[in-house]
Amino acid sequence: MKKRSLGGSIAAAPHVVWSIMFIVAPLLFVIYYAFTTSDGTLTFENISALSMYQDIFITSVEMSVIATFCCFLIAYPLAYFMARASERKKRVYMVLLMLPMWTNLLIRTYSMMAILDDGGFLNTLLLTLDMAPVHIIGTKGAVIFGMVYDFFPYMTLPIYTVISKIDNRLIEASYDLGCNNLQMITRVILPLSKSGIISGITMVFVPSISTFYISQKLGGGTFELIGDTIERQFQTPTTYNIGAAISLVMMILILISLAIMNRFSDAETSGRIG
Amino acid sequence: MKYISKIYVALVFMILYIPILVLMLFSFNATSNTGAFNGFSLYWYRELFRSPEVFDALKNSLILAISASCIATVIGTAAAVGIVKMKNRVFRSSLTAVTNVPMMNPDIVTGISMMLLFVAIGTFIGLSDKLSFWTLLISHVTFCLPYVILSVLPRVKAMDKSLPEAAMDLGCTPVRSFFKVELPVIMPGIITGLIMAFTMSLDDFVISYFTSGNDFQTLPLLIYSMTKKEVKPDIYALSTLMIIAITILLLLSNFSGSKDEIDRKRHQRMIRKAEKKSAVHTQNTGKES
Amino acid sequence: MQKLIELRNIVKEYEGERVLDNIDLDIYDKEFVTILGPSGCGKTTTLRIIGGFETPDSGECHFDGKIINDVPAYRRPVNTVFQKYALFPHLNVFENVAFALRLQKVPENEIIRRVREMLDMVELRGFEHKNVNYLSGGQQQRVAIARALISHPRVLLLDEPLGALDLKLRKDMQNELKNIQQRTGITFIYVTHDQEEALTMSDTVVVMADGKIQQVGTPIDIYNEPVNAFVADFIGESNILDGVMIEDGRVRFSGKEFVCVDGGFEKNAAVDVVVRPEDVDFVSPEKGMLTGVVSSVTFKGVHYEFIVDIGGFKWMIQSTDFVDKDEVIGLSIDPDAIHIMKKSEYSGKYGDYSSFSDELEELSNAESVESDD
Repeated sequence: MKKRSLGGSIAAAPHVVWSIMFIVAPLLFVIYYAFTTSDGTLTFENISALSMYQDIFITSVEMSVIATFCCFLIAYPLAYFMARASERKKRVYMVLLMLPMWTNLLIRTYSMMAILDDGGFLNTLLLTLDMAPVHIIGTKGAVIFGMVYDFFPYMTLPIYTVISKIDNRLIEASYDLGCNNLQMITRVILPLSKSGIISGITMVFVPSISTFYISQKLGGGTFELIGDTIERQFQTPTTYNIGAAISLVMMILILISLAIMNRFSDAETSGRIG
Repeated sequence: MKYISKIYVALVFMILYIPILVLMLFSFNATSNTGAFNGFSLYWYRELFRSPEVFDALKNSLILAISASCIATVIGTAAAVGIVKMKNRVFRSSLTAVTNVPMMNPDIVTGISMMLLFVAIGTFIGLSDKLSFWTLLISHVTFCLPYVILSVLPRVKAMDKSLPEAAMDLGCTPVRSFFKVELPVIMPGIITGLIMAFTMSLDDFVISYFTSGNDFQTLPLLIYSMTKKEVKPDIYALSTLMIIAITILLLLSNFSGSKDEIDRKRHQRMIRKAEKKSAVHTQNTGKES
Repeated sequence: MQKLIELRNIVKEYEGERVLDNIDLDIYDKEFVTILGPSGCGKTTTLRIIGGFETPDSGECHFDGKIINDVPAYRRPVNTVFQKYALFPHLNVFENVAFALRLQKVPENEIIRRVREMLDMVELRGFEHKNVNYLSGGQQQRVAIARALISHPRVLLLDEPLGALDLKLRKDMQNELKNIQQRTGITFIYVTHDQEEALTMSDTVVVMADGKIQQVGTPIDIYNEPVNAFVADFIGESNILDGVMIEDGRVRFSGKEFVCVDGGFEKNAAVDVVVRPEDVDFVSPEKGMLTGVVSSVTFKGVHYEFIVDIGGFKWMIQSTDFVDKDEVIGLSIDPDAIHIMKKSEYSGKYGDYSSFSDELEELSNAESVESDD
């Protein structure tokens, strides 16, 4: 028995070494940079300087929360309808959903821009219909719209997976015990799909709060998100330290919100329903 | 209820696809206008094929994705096998936690953290180009690893523990039993992992953006640099080609036949092979007797 | 007959818990041996030690006169039929059976001949190229047997191989296994918790409990002459009563004196008395050696099963005669139906039917199937 467990560790050894070198060590570097000046002396200035970026943090959180919520509102019914469709339709829906997910994010964002641009498709269409053109690119709405468009498939997929695994007999049982359609969804489907919702929220919130590409393209450079700020700091070596500090704070922010969400969902599921 | 669901699903997919379709349409536009369609032409495709940059980037992306996914698959498969056999619970759960960090962390943080490491090491050993193909490869292997482990691990866990014992019982050494029995049994998971790693690597922009040097440009990086300039339909053309390629791949993988069909086909192939074999055998025994 | 396997003072512990406690066992060539016991008694561990999948903490495992403690599984002339068959899912029937031969680099022609032969023996001719995952339980079982027998092992180990099959199929396979064993002349070591299976198939039954061997003997010996209350209760149904051996051939229990055929105990020694339910006859109360009140009747098809209260002790009695509940009846027991056993650590734990119910019995059986490993 002892021989075998040793064999096990040896098989995992390359991965252990790799993880330490290229996952743990880089994170330690982020922490190191966050607490030093560019010449290597220990400092807390980077962290205290972050108050400068307070507005950016607030805007980013606000926008990604809105985007995540919109994704949920759009994705949940979609996932539910997809999961309840016939097997053949399910496969078609899956391909339709996967295709945009496999398409590069840059291309998707760019296609959004092609539509919303001042001289883009939408405005040309509006003009030919004798309506006033709208200015969308450069507004917060455009960026949120871009986030929702880019990331809502990531919300749909996990929810769909969880709902399609729900035993149909549970749904029948809920009807049998007197639920109407709405009660069936709120009292059975919704609580049972919680794990899918949580991973969906994670998969949308994390890229939304850290994006810099969507805000660059659809925000038209009129305002900055955390992602943009970080990206800008890493253009020149002198600002690596402040960039590392911002990244560290963002990472901790995300970790805390994920932990709260998990705790919250655990408490909910262990408690009684409705 | 039925109508509502159909209308809703149709509407969402329509909104999802309109931008993509518009982009594809305008890639055939005769002018550089991105708002109004001025006639069909393949001008932008010709422009695209004339630029060596695109082909270089495509080649680079493929080289990177193939090498990163292969390395990640080998390391990740070994890790999955090892993790299941590990006895120490604390070590095992902390290893899985660390493994999942690149999956949970925002890409930008993974990107900059690796960049800081590479720059520090590069400075330490005095490299002039601190970021290169190699740093890009390392970062891609790193973020592909969790996906490989994620798809191999359930297969290893689900494998009947007596299979390796049965193999040894019939005369395999432990090493032989791994290659003759365990590996083939977990192969579907390994292949899924490989494909996932390959597509993740091919698709990545954010991490590559921070860890690549000037000498090695991948397709997503090229697209990014193209979008930094003025809007021109040449990028539409490139995007259209990529979307078409992805569509073909996706349709192939989804409709080439369900698993049962594949099994049946393989089964029939085996029967044919065996029939040939036994025909040879009856001939031989016929001669002997 | 020649001794093939000898286990000497085998001890095995898992996390401080002793699963095998000084096991001594001889297994002879060409024998069908069944190791029988409830779940967790150490029977599977014993088998795995012989197979080479576990090493004993102390003690010796001899094979054909040589110590094989350190010989790995792949070098032992012993093959195993695993509990859930462990067929290789990536190989078809032919390749599963041919597996060992391929490793030995046997020429293709011979492989084909021998696999055919094996598949004929287990009646799977024509199944060569089937996917093992699509076979029925019984067919998978046959493949597993063919695979294990193809390299002509000296010993075949079978770990509850029929556990996953339904009753009808299990009976058929029992006969078939016995047949195969007799035809091939290979020593079979068969592990099961099913006493009926053990009695039907074996030349020798080894009864185990709590990591110790309780009794080794032929099925008839084990059934008729159990050594202690555990064996008596585990094999078949038994009424086990406290008794006093007055002298050879005379025993006292349930407040009466009986003539019996056993002897060799000290005078007035405390003993356990076993009376099998089918060995008790109903007579009229006045003619009965014992009298009791019927407290329940269950129809079992061939016979009725009664629980009879005799002076507060509940007996199980099986009879084709019908007696109604609450009737007072007399019982008659022949001298050779009374079996006397020495007192043991199991005395008083078994053989009282006061809390008996069929459902409980089945529940505990089902549990032991699932949890046994």
